[in-house]
Order: sequence, then C-alpha cells, then structure tokens
Amino acid sequence: MLNGMLRNTLLIAKREYVERIRSRVFRITTLLVPIGMGGLAVLGSFSGKKMEGVQNMAIVSSNPELAAEVKAALLDGELPPKTVEIYAPATNEDLVRLNSAVAAHQIGGYLKLDPVAGEERPEVTWISGSSINFVSKAQMDAAVSSALIREQLLQRGVPEAQVEGLMKDPKLTTMQVKNGSVVASNSERSFLGAYALIIVLYASVLIYGINIARSVVEEKTSRIFEVLLSTASSDSLMLGKLLGVGAVGLTQMAIWGALLVFYAGSAMAAAQGIHGLGSLGITKAELGYFAVFFLLGFFLYSALAAALGSSVSGEQEVQQFSFILISPLVVSVVLLPFVLGNPNSTAAVVLSLLPPFTPIIMYMRICSQTPPLWQIALSIALLAGSVWAMVWLAARIYRVGVLMYGKRATLPEMIRWLRYS
Amino acid sequence: MEILVELDNVSKSYEAKAAVRDLSLKIEAGSMFGLLGPNGAGKTSTIRMMIGITLPDAGKVSLFGKPFGGDALKRVGYLPEERGLYKKMKVIDQLVFLAELRGLGALEAKRRAKQWCERLQMADSMDKRTEELSKGMQQKIQFIATLLHDPELIIMDEPFSGLDPVNAVLLQDTLLELKNQGNAVLFSTHRMDQVEKLCDQICLIDKGAAVLAGGMREVKSRYERNRVIVQYEGDAGFLQHPAIAEFKNYAGHAEIKLKPHADAQDLLRTAAATATITKFELVEPSLEEIFIETVGGRSDA
Repeated sequence: MLNGMLRNTLLIAKREYVERIRSRVFRITTLLVPIGMGGLAVLGSFSGKKMEGVQNMAIVSSNPELAAEVKAALLDGELPPKTVEIYAPATNEDLVRLNSAVAAHQIGGYLKLDPVAGEERPEVTWISGSSINFVSKAQMDAAVSSALIREQLLQRGVPEAQVEGLMKDPKLTTMQVKNGSVVASNSERSFLGAYALIIVLYASVLIYGINIARSVVEEKTSRIFEVLLSTASSDSLMLGKLLGVGAVGLTQMAIWGALLVFYAGSAMAAAQGIHGLGSLGITKAELGYFAVFFLLGFFLYSALAAALGSSVSGEQEVQQFSFILISPLVVSVVLLPFVLGNPNSTAAVVLSLLPPFTPIIMYMRICSQTPPLWQIALSIALLAGSVWAMVWLAARIYRVGVLMYGKRATLPEMIRWLRYS
Repeated sequence: MEILVELDNVSKSYEAKAAVRDLSLKIEAGSMFGLLGPNGAGKTSTIRMMIGITLPDAGKVSLFGKPFGGDALKRVGYLPEERGLYKKMKVIDQLVFLAELRGLGALEAKRRAKQWCERLQMADSMDKRTEELSKGMQQKIQFIATLLHDPELIIMDEPFSGLDPVNAVLLQDTLLELKNQGNAVLFSTHRMDQVEKLCDQICLIDKGAAVLAGGMREVKSRYERNRVIVQYEGDAGFLQHPAIAEFKNYAGHAEIKLKPHADAQDLLRTAAATATITKFELVEPSLEEIFIETVGGRSDA
C-alpha cells in the first residue's frame, strides 16, 4: 500500500511537472524574470552614477586665504568639483554675473564666506539653482569645516606637517563574527543573500502558489478529482502536486541560478567589481541555508495555497485569497528592519521560530549574526512539521470537497465534512 | 457466481437528510446490474460508498468478498456522473496517466489506449488536446479511461446521458461484450428502456431505500400480465366486459388494462363471439410502468 502511494505520488508529480514545463507560462516567466532583473541592475547602476556633486562652482569671500583653503578642501574631498573660481574680494558686478550664471545653469552655485566681526567663524551661504541638494550641502559643510580648522590651527602656530596629520580621517574597518570566526564584513553585501531570498520566495509563492491553487480549483470544477480519488488517496494527490510544482520551481531557479553564475563570472560583472559568487558576499553555508529555507518556505506556502484552493469553488475566489497567501511574507518584510536592529531580541527569536515567518526572518538572522544552532534546528523542525500538517489538512479539505457543489464551505461545514468522509 | 459487491444494511446521511437508508444489494460477476431511481433518490451516494469515496454511517460494504480496502480499487473501473478531464492535456497522455494511476505500466497503457480509441472509432482524436473535442467525444474518452485497466467490476453513474443514439448503442454493446466476458457491470440511470434491454438485475431506490430489487424476470413476474392488446374487426361491445378496468380504443386497436386477477381468457371468448379477432396479446407491464407505479408517478422522476 505504501509502495502504491509512492507510485501514485510520483505519477502525479510527473504529470504536474511535464504539463507545466510544456506550458507557455513557464517559458515566458523563465525568460522575462532575468530580463527584468537585468533591466533593474542596469537602472541601478545608472542611478548610482547620477549621485554626483557640484561640477562647476565659485567661492566669494573678502578673505582670500580662507577662500583658497576651502577650494583646496573641496578639491581634496569626496566628489570634487571640476572647476572652482575664486572671487576675493568680489565686486557687485561679480555677484550679478554669478547669479545669472547660476540661473543659466553654467555653474552649480557659489559659496559666500563673510567674516563676522568678533567671531572666529564666518557666515557661510550656499547659493545654488536647486532648492536642496543633500550631496552638495554635505560637500560644502565638510569643506568649510576642515578649511576653518586648518586655518585656525595654522594661525595658532601649529606646523603645517602636523596640521596635515591631525586633519586626516581615522580609517574605520568593519569586521564581523561569522560562524565563530572574525571576518571582514560588508554590510550591504551580507544582506544581499537575504534580499535575494525574499525576492525569490515572494516571486515563486506568487507565481507557483497561485498556480497550485488554480490547478486544485480546476480539478474540482471539472470534477476530475472524483475519478482521481477513486484510485489514489488525497494525500498522494496533494503531495504529488506539491512535489511536481516544486520541481518546476526548482528547474526555473536552476536556470536563473546558472544565468547568475554565468553573469557573476562574466566580463560585464568584472567591470562592476564582481568576480565570481564569492564577491557577492554569499558564503557556502548561507547558500545551503538559502536552499533549505527556500524549499521549506515554498512548500509551506504551496500547501497553504492548495488548502485555500480546496476550500473555494471558483477561479475568481483564488484571486481574493492570494492576499491571505502572501500576507505573512509582507509582514516579514515589514518587520525586517526591526529584526536587523535587534537580531537577538526575544521578539526576533520568537518571530523566527513561527513557521510562516521563519524562512525570511530566520534567514535574515543567520545572515546578520549567527543565532544559536538549537534555534536554527528548531525553526527548521517546526517549519518542516507545519509543511506536513498543512499537506495533511489540504488533503482532507480536498477529499471532502467531492461532496461540495458550487459554494464555498464555511469552517464548521469543513469540520463536519472531515468527520463524514 | 462470485459476488463482487455486497452492501449490507448500509445507511448514510448528510446534515439532516438521509441519503441512503438500510440498503442491501449484491452484484455478481458476469451480470449487468441496473441501479434505478428518480433524481435525488440516493443512487450516486450508494455508488460512492461502494468505492470508498464516502464511508457509510452504518452497515458494511464488501468488495470482492473482503471489507473495503484501497487495493481493491485497482480492480474497479469507476465513471462518476459529473466527470472531468484535464482540458489542456492530450487525449493519449491523459488516458495513459489515468491507466498508470490504476497500476498499468506506461507502455502497456499506451498500447491499450490506442486499441480502445480504435475500437470506439476515435483514433483521429488521440493526439488532440481534450478541450478541442466535443462533449460526446470527451465522454467516450472517459468511458475508455474507466475500462483501460480491464476492471472486473465496472461502475458507471449515468453513462449514456448526453450521447447521441449511435454512440449510446456503441457503448451499450461494449458493456454487453464486457459482461459476456465475465465482468460485472453496474450502472445507474433513469432511462428505463436501456435497463430493460441490458440488465439482468435491478434495484430501484426511492428516497434512499430499496423499493424493488431482484432479477429482471423475477421483478417483472411479480407484476401481473394485466395488459391486453386486441386487434379486431366488427363490434367493440366486448370492451364493456366486467374484467376490464380501463381501455383506450383506437380504430380496430384496443389497449386494455384488466382488473386485478381478472380472467383474460373469458374476455377473449366474449370478444371472439361478437367480433373478428386478428390479434389478442397479454403484455407484461414495462419497467417504466412499474417504475412509475412504485415511485408514485412523481414529476421529478
């Protein structure tokens, strides 16, 4: 009997797999997603380049030494401007000319440094064409501050060489304890894996979860499931469906993964400073956890979709239910900043152990600061257990759905049916 | 004869409604069994319990002499009343998949599927997608899917509904052939003419309970041959004979219903005395009449 169930499960899985791989939807999504991702990457690098400071500017001051110091500091700082003209002292005609140059976008703006009597700091004004530009404001702040400090130190008789040493930025290196050893960390990159999991999980639950719910509804409305149920148990039907659709998802992931590896090793990636997967900041252990949490998460949400599909009577209702399906994922994403800030707080630990949130929250915790092994093991066990329970429940609902005609079951009805069958 | 299905005082209710009450029946190998009854009588509920889709609230179901078990289902071919197919699948793939589920190897399943498609005159449709076919063609595919694994027990819920006469006869003949090979066939219907032609055994159920059951001949013999058809020339005065309960007189052709236990021979003598009789036939009641009489001529029958 067990052999029979295994055989049936595999037969059903095979049918689901073959029919889906042959479908047009599969070919389209397999192609479109990488194209979309590629487009996003290009867009991202484009908007990154847009982050630049002021190109051409002027400095207006009655103090030529200070103006020269600020110019030097600007050219020495981040995002140095191409040209910096100095008007020290400036005539009224100069100011009129500068204003019209700003208006005509010939220069980005000009900095006015007016010494105030009795004060060591001058009054600083930045006059530009745009209302607020955070980059240029920070740029000006930094340049003026360092120029003023330099000037003050020199005036107090500190030798030039010492001033240089004092003004140097301290170099901050960030390190991270990962899997028991201290390694260099790159905060942006270590979360890349987690964000990738979120996107991949979200996309596959949306595509394949809804797909499973649809195919369950199709079997119910066409009533082929009465024929199926007269030979195979509802457990093998559900399990087979999940395995088959899961295999389709994995096939698609494998294609995308191969494309990613190909991309990471390509000249295009090298031009962007990426040499192989390692430099994406993903370790082998993380890749392993990624697979575990993706698969279990995928199965949990797919089984939930199957249960939802089993309890509705028509296609349209699947759309309404799709929100219920993805809401735990949305909640996980909303809670992410909190978990990142407090990866070991009680709330984060509890959340990461609750099966619907485990895939994203626990994986994020693993990426940010390795949690105790027992917590990881417990979360995986709970997740796997809930997958099993959800498959069981979906199979029962599917089973009693034979008796249901054209209406959605209420919860008490479903419970009664569970007893009838 | 081996008994393939036995229901022993089976009952089943949904919510407050009793679908099947205290029903007992036996189906033998090599027989054609008709499950009759008006709509909503409990035919489908009865069939579902036979193959374990639902479990009875009370009573016992045995398949092949053993209490119901999943393994027995490989020996059963079941065609539900509301049947479906995977719309997007190719006909041949669909047939092979359903046959594999019932334990056949892929190659053997394909061989038999081809054979059956040829037998039912639909070899051209094998490589089409199911949704491209007409309703009647789809019904034939379902019919084939039910039979591919050569089941000893064939259970069909309303198998002929929606078929044109040519295809209905094709399927009837196929079922008869299978019966003659020693398989048991059970089908439900409310078309009495089919049952009368095809079935050896019948069970008429109404409101969930069996109201009439047994061999076709035996059931019919329980009802008197109280119909008479007379063709005559001359005086129709014999139609006033005391044995006659009611009659319809068409020119030279009378259809007569006799009173209970009336003497038909006396009527013949009276008629022969006054008219020239060219035909005098005592007819047994049709199953349809028995059906209507038993269920009370309800309009939804």
